[in-house]
Amino acid sequence: MSALWRQFRRNRPALAGLTILALVVALGVGAPLIRPGDPWAEIAQPDLWPGEDWRFPFGSDVLGRDLLSGLLHGARVSLVIGFSAALVAGSLGTLTGSLAGFYGGWLDDALMRLAESFQTIPAFLMAIVIVALFSPSPLTIVLSIVAVSWPGVARLVRAETLRLRAADFVLACRSFGMGDARIILTQILPNCLAPVIVTISVMVASGILIEAGLSFLGLGDPSQLSWGTMIAIGRGSLRSAWYMSAIPGLAILLTVMAINLIGDGLNDALNPYLRDRSK
Amino acid sequence: MSAIAIGFRLPPYARFLARRIGQSLALVFCTVLITFTVINLAPGDMVDVMAGEAGAADAGYIALLRQRYGLDQPVPVRLLHYVEQLGHFDFGYSFRHNKPVLQLIGERLGATALLMGSSTILAITGAVLLGIMAARRLNTATDGIISVLALLAYATPVFWVGLMLILVFSVKLRWLPSGGMETLFSGLTGPARFGDLAAHLVLPAITLALFHLALYTRLLRASMLEVLRQDFIRTARAKGLPERIVVGRHALGNALLPLVTMVGMQLGAALGGSVVVESVFAWPGLGRLAFDAVGERDLNLLVGIVLFSGLLVITVNLLVDLLYSWLDPRIETQ
Amino acid sequence: MLNPMNISAPWPRRRLLKAGLAFGAGAFLPRLEFARGAEAPARGGQLVVAIFPEPPYLTSALSTLGPAQVVSGKIFDGLLTYAPDLTPRPQLAESWQVGADGLSVRFALRPGVTWHDGTPFTSADVAYSLLTIWKQLHSRGRSTFANVEAVESPDPLTSIWRLSKPAPYLLSALAAVESQIVPKHLYDGTDPLTNPHNLAPVGTGPFRFAGWERGNYIVLERNPTYWDQPKPYLDRIVFRVLPDAAERANALETGEVQLLMSSGVQLSDLARFGAAKELAVERGGYAYTAGITSFEFNLDRPVFQDVRVRHAFAHAIDRDFILKNVFYGYGAIATGPIPPSLTQFYTADVPLYRFDLAKAAALLDEAGLKPDAQGTRLTVNFDPAPIGDSLQRAAEAIRDTLGRVGVKLQLRTQDFAGFVRRIYTDRAFDTILYSANAAPDPAISSQRFYWSKNFQPGVAFSNGSHYASAEADHLLETAQAESDPKERRALYVRFQQLVQTDLPTIPLIAPEGVSVADRRARDYSVTADGAYGNFAEAYLVPK
Repeated sequence: MSALWRQFRRNRPALAGLTILALVVALGVGAPLIRPGDPWAEIAQPDLWPGEDWRFPFGSDVLGRDLLSGLLHGARVSLVIGFSAALVAGSLGTLTGSLAGFYGGWLDDALMRLAESFQTIPAFLMAIVIVALFSPSPLTIVLSIVAVSWPGVARLVRAETLRLRAADFVLACRSFGMGDARIILTQILPNCLAPVIVTISVMVASGILIEAGLSFLGLGDPSQLSWGTMIAIGRGSLRSAWYMSAIPGLAILLTVMAINLIGDGLNDALNPYLRDRSK
Repeated sequence: MSAIAIGFRLPPYARFLARRIGQSLALVFCTVLITFTVINLAPGDMVDVMAGEAGAADAGYIALLRQRYGLDQPVPVRLLHYVEQLGHFDFGYSFRHNKPVLQLIGERLGATALLMGSSTILAITGAVLLGIMAARRLNTATDGIISVLALLAYATPVFWVGLMLILVFSVKLRWLPSGGMETLFSGLTGPARFGDLAAHLVLPAITLALFHLALYTRLLRASMLEVLRQDFIRTARAKGLPERIVVGRHALGNALLPLVTMVGMQLGAALGGSVVVESVFAWPGLGRLAFDAVGERDLNLLVGIVLFSGLLVITVNLLVDLLYSWLDPRIETQ
Repeated sequence: MLNPMNISAPWPRRRLLKAGLAFGAGAFLPRLEFARGAEAPARGGQLVVAIFPEPPYLTSALSTLGPAQVVSGKIFDGLLTYAPDLTPRPQLAESWQVGADGLSVRFALRPGVTWHDGTPFTSADVAYSLLTIWKQLHSRGRSTFANVEAVESPDPLTSIWRLSKPAPYLLSALAAVESQIVPKHLYDGTDPLTNPHNLAPVGTGPFRFAGWERGNYIVLERNPTYWDQPKPYLDRIVFRVLPDAAERANALETGEVQLLMSSGVQLSDLARFGAAKELAVERGGYAYTAGITSFEFNLDRPVFQDVRVRHAFAHAIDRDFILKNVFYGYGAIATGPIPPSLTQFYTADVPLYRFDLAKAAALLDEAGLKPDAQGTRLTVNFDPAPIGDSLQRAAEAIRDTLGRVGVKLQLRTQDFAGFVRRIYTDRAFDTILYSANAAPDPAISSQRFYWSKNFQPGVAFSNGSHYASAEADHLLETAQAESDPKERRALYVRFQQLVQTDLPTIPLIAPEGVSVADRRARDYSVTADGAYGNFAEAYLVPK
């Protein structure tokens, strides 16, 4: 673990990404403390520019909602949805991929055909279909992100499983009479971990982007104010008060960039490390 | 394994092709099944929408409409009927738009093709230029800047880029129009019309291209680095060939292969992304049509569009695989 | 069967005078409200109107969707048109008479009117449209024309309708957009729902269909053989399909679009539009399609069967706040199911429920709904109809004030199809908020929400509350067939008083229609249906 951290630490951009993400998480967690109350509350004078009123440092939107409050609470929405979707998709993909790779045969064919079908349908369109048809809510949004993300993980894990299935130490375990489940869980999966972790980190980023896109199209969770929703609301005032859309967009940009940097850093750090371990 | 029992052995490419087509058909069927099932699980159907929009109706009218549109039959029956229609290349009828689905798709295809085509060309061209630049000036400032820019483009939400571009180029500078495909009834023809179309196309194409540009640049750079390490490059350099040719012909030719594969894979994603771009720029394409079909529960249209894009993606991927194996003899077609 | 030549039995003088007014006055009534200055209308020019969504057909005989009405209203004329105060005026019918017993209506059609393809317009077209289209395929026509048993066409310019029961509301439902006459020679013998002329219509109106580029625009051109010469004045009307509110606002501000109709305007943009030099905001003009925004209970839920609970809710909703902040003042407080603009039937003499949280709390206490440890008395679901932003904002405001008396409203969302299914088929709801048409006559609009016989699960916007009051039914059914206007009004007054006491539904706001247009566009909204009208008088002042 500490070797991993040392590798990671050397990568300056990755470190920068980690710092930014930590900041975003902190702000999201601290949102009820910094800006208690409902971000939907129309408490300010409408159309305030950032800096015009020190009580509302990022200004207010067309109905007088505090943009800073929106930014902070929006961070929670984005992060929670992004992380949960990535974890679920990662788990689901790992499960199907490992089973497909390990057992092969018709199970492999069936699961991979299923994964391919999901990948053939244009991703964002599928997300829209799922969310629009089953009413926007945190659950359906997460579900839609999972639906478009799991095939990638599944194929990756399958490829790794195929590679490892024939490895010496696995054959050795079999000869001891170790059951299939134990082999998969204790021998194969830990060795796939590296690429899976990297993929999951990237999925957090794409999950946040998908959620923002859905919110922008009006399919976001109506009870939460997300960054994408803020951009959509600000769109009507683009001519005169462009900051309403610009600021939440920058927030998304920074967060996604940070996560990608972390993902790159993890990739660089993990791969040589684990490649050695599996020998 | 050759699934086709013919008296003689088919050449390897034909067998490969046959197997792939068989797989593709299975894939298409699976896709249709998934979409059909999902949209039928949703609450409310097209008649609910129509009756709701009418603001009034009676049970007789609703029953009439349901029977008309075949919505009174159970889902498996409708699925069977749909698949049967597909066999005759009939994508069904959109009762909402009162046109056959295939015709509707055809009408909007041009706009979408234009948008996606131009954005793909932009993305590939940009990626090639930037990727080569970055690979040649490895670990210098230029490389760093390109990497950062690529990351920025990758991380920025597509719709936000669109809005900001509109803000700068349309609202503030007034250089370009903010939406639509052409200026209506301007009476423009020939080059002037082309210019008008181009002016409307610039911003949406750039918006859609940026994300993929970033992706392809990173991929090409990594791919170039991989290729430049190979033996045959060292041989070429040892032979005294100018760097320009080493990189431009030998390295690039090989580095392009993974890029081509990636472009094929991303085609589906581009179509999905076009929904947002078409919304922001009021571009009359298939993406927006699909989005509207969801709210209208226009089953035939939605499944038709998904099916169409699925077929497109599968065909392109198949062509890419063929191209790949033809270009690189090391790859087997088994 | 009555002898068609004998329908007019001697009428009392009073009635004759009234009929005469209705018959002839339309031609002489001065244009109210929207006459703007004495300039002669300028000829020529193109008007671009933004619409959304794209209509499925271009005839509102088959589709009652707003955009279908907007576009087809300029291609087709109707039997009648209506002044802004809803008085009927001649259009394709020059005069009309209702029989003394109310069981027949005779129309004298205008001579010299031709369809866009040159064929003369005759009573055969009216008969075909009524019997084959309106009575069978039009969602509202089925009930509006339910009482019409037969249509006689003794000559090409006379149409006589035989009714099984008097239908005084019938004459209000004859606007072009509501009951559209289609050409028999192009529809007879075909399946109307798939007739290609639904997409390329041939009409009698001031503008001809000239083209439709899907997903983009629809274009109409001036009809040079329009019966009402020298109209129309515009050369061309273009309808641009712009599904996005921001896009519409943008197009209006850059001048790419010159008219935005009520349903396309985001009220929060109105201040900006009002300040723009080139734009003019037009209030009113939508009397024909006036609606009421209402809060409705599901009376099948035991808790709502106690009238005190319903009254409490009414006292806990701040209508003034909603009118001011959600509708920006564009509208009026609705005191009942009939909007104030329907002056013939409206009465303000009904129980009123002032915003009074203390009273609401007291009523809830009385009804046995005491606050628990957290102060919550009741938790119920709340489904605002997903049509536009205003309903969502109003729903949030309602949730806020009801929350203050301990009633927790849990806002749920779904898209339109899901809403219709959940409320009207599954009936899986507690309370809803929706907007519905309440014009031009209560019998064909408000009635459907209060009549027990219109409790039809599976039918959207039917009697969702499941209100069943024998007295209300009696009042509605009698008023439906009552020919004497005074009697009819009395019945509706009693109806309003009854339902405002029973309160199965709490009417909140009667929103005002607002159009935003280029300042140069004039006289586009001169009838009761506003910009849904035929634009025969519309013109553009030259730059």
